[in-house]
Amino acid sequence: MGVKITRGSFARPGTSLQFDTGSWRVQRPDHLHAAAPCHSACPAGEDAQAWLALVEEERFREAWENLITANPLPAITGRVCHHPCETACNRGGYDEAIAIHHVERFLGDMALQEGWAYPQVQVPDTAPEIAVVGSGPAGCSAAYHLAQRGYRVQLFEALPVAGGLLRSAIPPYRLPSKVVENELDRLLANGIRFMPGQRLGRDFSLEELQASFSAVFLGVGTQRSREWSIDGATPRDLHVGLSLLKEWMDVGVIPCWSSVAIVGAGNTAIDLARVLKLAGVPEVHIISHKAIPGPGVPAQDAMPAILREIEQGLEEGVTIHEHRGVQRLILRGEQVVGLELVHMKKLADANGRLKRVAFEGTESMLHVEQVIPAIGQVVDPDGIRALLGQRSYFRVDDWGQFPDQPKLFSGGDARGDRGTVSEAVGDGRRAALAIDHMLREEAGEVPENKTTPIPLEQLNLNYYEPAPRPEVQLLDVAKRSGFDEIESGLTHKQATGEGQRCFSCGNCLACDNCWTLCPDVAVLKTQDVAADGSHYVFDYGYCKGCGLCARECPSGYIVMRDEV
Amino acid sequence: MQHALEGSQAIARAVSLCRPQVVSAYPITPQTHIVENLSKLVADGVLECELVSVESEFSAASVALGAVAAGSRAYTASSSQGILLMSEVLFNIAGLRIPLVLTCANRAVSAPLSIWNDQQDSMAVRDAGWIQLYCADNQEAIDTTIQAFRIAEQCELPVMVCVDGFTLTHTLEVLDLPDQQQVDEFLPAFSFARRLDPANPLSVGTLVSPEYFTETRQDHHQALLDATAAIVQAQSDWLAISGRDTGGLLRCEGPDDAATGILTLGSIAGTLQEAIEEQGDAAPARLITLRAFRPFPEQALRDACQGLERLIVLERALSPGAGGIVGTEVRAALGVMDNPPQIFNFAVGLGGRDVPLEIYTHLLDAIAKGRGTGFDILDLDTGKLPAETS
Amino acid sequence: MTQEVNIPLTDLRRSQPRFSGFEAGHRACLGCGEALAARLVTESAGPDVMYANATGCLEVFTTAWPDSAWRVPWMHSLFANAAAIGAGMEAAMKAQGKSTRVIAMGGDGGTFDIGFQALSGMLERGHNVLYVCFDNEAYMNTGIQRSSSTPHAAATTTSPAGRESMGKRHMKKDIVSIVAAHHIPYAATASVAYPSDIHKKVRRALAIDGPTFLHIHTPCPLGWGHDGALTIEIARLAVQTGLFPVIELERGGVAGAMPIRKLRPVTDYLGLQSRFRHLFADSSRAKEELEHLQALADHNIELYGLRGEEKIDALDSEGADTVRRGGMRWA
Repeated sequence: MGVKITRGSFARPGTSLQFDTGSWRVQRPDHLHAAAPCHSACPAGEDAQAWLALVEEERFREAWENLITANPLPAITGRVCHHPCETACNRGGYDEAIAIHHVERFLGDMALQEGWAYPQVQVPDTAPEIAVVGSGPAGCSAAYHLAQRGYRVQLFEALPVAGGLLRSAIPPYRLPSKVVENELDRLLANGIRFMPGQRLGRDFSLEELQASFSAVFLGVGTQRSREWSIDGATPRDLHVGLSLLKEWMDVGVIPCWSSVAIVGAGNTAIDLARVLKLAGVPEVHIISHKAIPGPGVPAQDAMPAILREIEQGLEEGVTIHEHRGVQRLILRGEQVVGLELVHMKKLADANGRLKRVAFEGTESMLHVEQVIPAIGQVVDPDGIRALLGQRSYFRVDDWGQFPDQPKLFSGGDARGDRGTVSEAVGDGRRAALAIDHMLREEAGEVPENKTTPIPLEQLNLNYYEPAPRPEVQLLDVAKRSGFDEIESGLTHKQATGEGQRCFSCGNCLACDNCWTLCPDVAVLKTQDVAADGSHYVFDYGYCKGCGLCARECPSGYIVMRDEV
Repeated sequence: MQHALEGSQAIARAVSLCRPQVVSAYPITPQTHIVENLSKLVADGVLECELVSVESEFSAASVALGAVAAGSRAYTASSSQGILLMSEVLFNIAGLRIPLVLTCANRAVSAPLSIWNDQQDSMAVRDAGWIQLYCADNQEAIDTTIQAFRIAEQCELPVMVCVDGFTLTHTLEVLDLPDQQQVDEFLPAFSFARRLDPANPLSVGTLVSPEYFTETRQDHHQALLDATAAIVQAQSDWLAISGRDTGGLLRCEGPDDAATGILTLGSIAGTLQEAIEEQGDAAPARLITLRAFRPFPEQALRDACQGLERLIVLERALSPGAGGIVGTEVRAALGVMDNPPQIFNFAVGLGGRDVPLEIYTHLLDAIAKGRGTGFDILDLDTGKLPAETS
Repeated sequence: MTQEVNIPLTDLRRSQPRFSGFEAGHRACLGCGEALAARLVTESAGPDVMYANATGCLEVFTTAWPDSAWRVPWMHSLFANAAAIGAGMEAAMKAQGKSTRVIAMGGDGGTFDIGFQALSGMLERGHNVLYVCFDNEAYMNTGIQRSSSTPHAAATTTSPAGRESMGKRHMKKDIVSIVAAHHIPYAATASVAYPSDIHKKVRRALAIDGPTFLHIHTPCPLGWGHDGALTIEIARLAVQTGLFPVIELERGGVAGAMPIRKLRPVTDYLGLQSRFRHLFADSSRAKEELEHLQALADHNIELYGLRGEEKIDALDSEGADTVRRGGMRWA
């Protein structure tokens, strides 16, 4: 009994749905959101992939709003960041990395131009109050993220204006002062009580802050130059790189020597060299222990300065002496007339530790009128001597928290293991998260998505069209004055094009591939975004677990798991 | 209306009156004239239909099958090798319960090659699941063709109308061709409930497991058995319209008290009838003309054989190594009678050998000599056999 | 992460934004290329079509009575007569004055071999039928026997590799050229790895009044000896090596070819399939056969001009089936 035969044994449409092919399955496909390499690599914690997706759809404001959940200063970082996101970008292994850095600037500039505001947060008068010392990128970021989380914030700054090294150390051809001004004006207008002209150790003490605030963030930066001498000798009129740069940015003039050697390999060395060169110094040399970054140069042997800046410096006529150290100052009286250079390299000693080795017989002379050390800065110990002890920098954990001082945090250059604006922004955000976590008395670790980025091999590159990365306009070398910005921004079309080029690593592209390629009609498309962030659900009643969808998912968003 | 028509022409005209929408065929002697005539009717605008001249009988049957499945009345015709080439499709058509009409212009099957008439071809596909109706003359061919469409469509079974090649298909005679109005009154417009239709998309031709296959076979078998009623009904309804009796399942002529009966099918019936009449016998034999071979009309046959002492089964095919085909079935059917007649079984007229008027006396002589009690070929010339088989 | 859906899957299944002519619950093997191709064809053709299906895997795995995976009017008759059944359907539609289109379909056995005559007849008579051949290069339903579509050197159960044999001795029949030689308006090849191309070609074929032919390369995990997850990868490699040229022919002449962006050596394709495993033995005969297959691919590449110009084809998203965020491939 049961089923009755039909005339000529015809069957009715779609009746195969009563046959449960899902029972054949030994493996099931599942959506797995893996972190995109750009997200994992961003020091500021931006999810570039997420906002690039919005940029592609020309939803620029939403893209910017997504971006500023991590980084409130995209017009700034979009100019000065060393963009490790692009180094990590999987697309680099296919044709050329996505121009994430340029798109970030595009969004930052558009936000300034359109006057987009940060999300408004109502902060009650009773909310805990946090003190942030220093209004450089770390302090500003901490203040912003705390304010966004509903805290009252007082931001102390020794100088009359906010910005720290953004104003004092980065030349305007890289970061126009108008951009800094606009970006910071918006930030400070966002429920933050700004206290200019207030210097730690002079106008208030750390103890006072600790007594009257729920938590304190020290974004004090590195205000003191390292001591520099060669076998105890220093030139009489020693100029230090960073202060020279600051002086030029403040008054707009710089001593015009005939030849200068700058000792150092960081951004200050390059910035200063370029400023000197653009100001008319005929001969500008950089003496670097390390090599110019490039293919085959290991990261630990590469100059820490941003490659783009090195390249532009070379283009402008700066000479870089790689793997070279100063052996001796050549003085006439106390006046420098030249340097004795020697080839140097970092090599492993018997214990495997790297140390610098000078190679005898490679000495050479370099005649210069001035030598300028740009070998780094340390924390100014005024007012925080006890905290610093004998160290040059603060020692804090990943979240910026001082050991045994649960309510005291730091970040940015003052940590000593940082050195970029983006890292400082990231430190400010992470400290804000940790402070929030602490004040809410939440248990466990501070919540943050930490996932292993998805490697290129897990993507299916067959589905991506080769497409070139856009090139931005650069000011002609002859027209560079040092004040006018050198790089211009992306056009709308270029920006959305980058959104299209994005692989969407580890995230659903909504490309329909799984839906299109399932032989068993077991992938269904949803009208709205499904609960897991994709646009598709697996119908396990019919999925046989062949694994085709996982294999063909362009972005590596589908994984196969064994059935239990 | 009376017309002087060749058999093939008459059949074509009858088919045309039934308004087929798709006709497909492949040429083979002696069926060719039917298709040629249909083609001419289409060319002359008399018949409006899709005429598909295919590349084989296999495709001829397939095109017709596809057309009916898609909801059109269709027709095809063939013979001999053609019937065998399409035999796979014939089984398929029947199993799918597709109402289709096919004319089989009966012819011998090769080898050796013979283009002449016997009924080996249709007999070879008797198990295909089709209704098989045999025509004694060309008037019956006309009337049976028209009835075949109604039977097929009513029962959702295919019908094979068997007409002796040359003997009937190529014979010119005066025939009564019904007019269109009569046919339209008898045969409703084609409407096939299981047709392929995007609005009700059925899947036809499925794979059936052993769990259900047996029941599908029983269902098909029962449908053929039940078709006897439709065959009888079609005949009586057509009689009312045309005034002609074509016989239902079988035709029975001769005296009720006859001791000898002769059973045959196809055009031999006409020869025998004439022979019996000519003989002027005091006690003539009863002539039983089997019209429906499938479904096999067991009960009607037993009724027709009541009172007979002897029954001669005369057929135009054989199953080598067994003997008569029709004879074997008749023996089985009559075996359950209280007083079954003694059965004699002969084949005759194989591969177009002439069946003369003397056949009646030959038959009576043969059984008098004790031939045919098992199976014999009546008109065998033993002198032509090689030594080892003679 | 476990998925959560707000609406029941049955409702979601009913409201998919594409035509569903081919339903889930069919019994094809894991990763079946033919099942996928059939779904893509029905999807592209839309609802106003009836189908004639030759005997073979597709027919068996879709219609185990009382179940049917089809949501379109569909009929299976026999192995050899799909084209003739289609012709009959088309004649019926013509006679009834209906616009419903007819697609006849069969595997390589039903097309290259046993159904070849009926196919030729249908083409010659000019029936308005699209014939789709799902080519998995052997008789899979009966247990992987060689057909005239089986490529040279492939091992099947009736062309096994052994001490005296390197698999099938003969060449793959060039069916699309033979079909095109009927001077029909449109004949094309396609690969299941390129669904947008299939979509485009089905629509193009159905827009033409007259017989059209689409030959779709569909890997068979069971018969070719590869994991079901690799079906698309292998189909793609067949195209990228030049072993399966994706071309279009109009009235018998070549009218288009999908260029190969990145040419791959045939060993990339062959090495993934156990039917070619014997070609990787350390013997001179095996090496010669590999060279032979490479030569066959090179011949195709030259014959149809498949070497893509990197610059020009870089944005050929139609042919290459690249994807876009938001499923724009189907736009």
